Amino acid sequence: MIKKLYVITILLFILVVFALVSLDFSTLYNDFGRVYFETNGYIETGSTNLVTGIYLDYRLFDSLFEAGILLIAVAGIIWISKHDLSEKNVEFMFEHFKTPELFITFSRIIFPLLLMFGIYVIVNGHISPGGGFQGGAIVATAILILYYIDQDRWTNIKVIVTVEKIVYILLIIVASISFITRGVPFTNFIPNTSNINLKVIYLMILNILIGMKVSLGLWTIFTAFLREGR
Amino acid sequence: MDSALAIEVVAYILQFILIFLSIAIVVHKNNGTIIILIVSFSFVTASLYLINRAPDVAIAEIAIGSAIIPLIYVISISRQREFVVLDKVMDDFIIQGERLSGIGYVILHQLADFYHLELNITNDSGLCFLDENMDQTVCEKTNVDLIVTKDSKTGEYVFKGKRSNILMRRLKRFVEPFANIRVELFKDSDFGD
Repeated sequence: MIKKLYVITILLFILVVFALVSLDFSTLYNDFGRVYFETNGYIETGSTNLVTGIYLDYRLFDSLFEAGILLIAVAGIIWISKHDLSEKNVEFMFEHFKTPELFITFSRIIFPLLLMFGIYVIVNGHISPGGGFQGGAIVATAILILYYIDQDRWTNIKVIVTVEKIVYILLIIVASISFITRGVPFTNFIPNTSNINLKVIYLMILNILIGMKVSLGLWTIFTAFLREGR
Repeated sequence: MDSALAIEVVAYILQFILIFLSIAIVVHKNNGTIIILIVSFSFVTASLYLINRAPDVAIAEIAIGSAIIPLIYVISISRQREFVVLDKVMDDFIIQGERLSGIGYVILHQLADFYHLELNITNDSGLCFLDENMDQTVCEKTNVDLIVTKDSKTGEYVFKGKRSNILMRRLKRFVEPFANIRVELFKDSDFGD
């Protein structure tokens, strides 16, 4: 009882502090950033969706480390779920992990659609809402559904992790090409004066790389969780 | 009613729902219900993001918060529901012929039913033929909760498990009326890694 009261008090305290802070928001708001991105964003980055323009061009340095965080999370999960005795306790089951037949049938219908939608979100990241991270998460969900359809599916985690690392290195390389072409690292490698439609190529490449990285990373996490305790 | 005003009213209602959901997540006891609450929490958050004109963040919230996190929770909880028993006994103590109907099975089934767990008895050949001294290591390193062996000298059946496992105490009480069964507890070693 005391514990519950304690937690609820903390939550109420946070609520009150947040409400007090939000009174001060009006002084924090100003229009400089918004006006700048609205007038120059499309011309400088070639991205209709300004969010993509910001995280793949103006703030690419941040995005790289964001992608790195997922890599570290995957490494941590693999390290925690490591077993010393040979990993063959996968074949433990007397009674199989029960999944409803209806769920499997619907998964078979949904799987290709979900995969296609994920790829659509990744590729169209510079036009519509979405991008590498969101699309990658959707693709990873589609892959997880695959495990429900085919229960005895076996994955080689080593290959996935290796590909993920290679993709991350590729990401950094593509991000640093601009040091040669423009003289500044971590921005669009296509010169600033060229056609806007050309700049889209760079955005698509980076979105696809980030999407691959995120989906592979989440796939590894699922596999670790599915294998754990079987 | 003006549409902008309607959206604002909806946003306020959603924010209050959010507060109730977060309190419910903290207070609730049943794991399955908590997962549903977390899913609805992220749905409400996503719609708030959408109302505040951040569709990118809303998509990320939907994909992560209401698809991936609940699935991971479901997997982990369904793993927790199992009570894995490694059967090293070669006679009909647990498995009689092809069917599970020995005395040991009845006891274990009673225990699993008491805690609403799914009993999973295995005689995986890779782990069964390991040395007697390895039993503690098997219990610690794999997900095996209980090992059943037969004492070759006295002919007693031995249930082996970790001392820190609460279920073992209950098992001791179940086993008391049987003279030829005893419970052995491992001392918990420190975390090596």
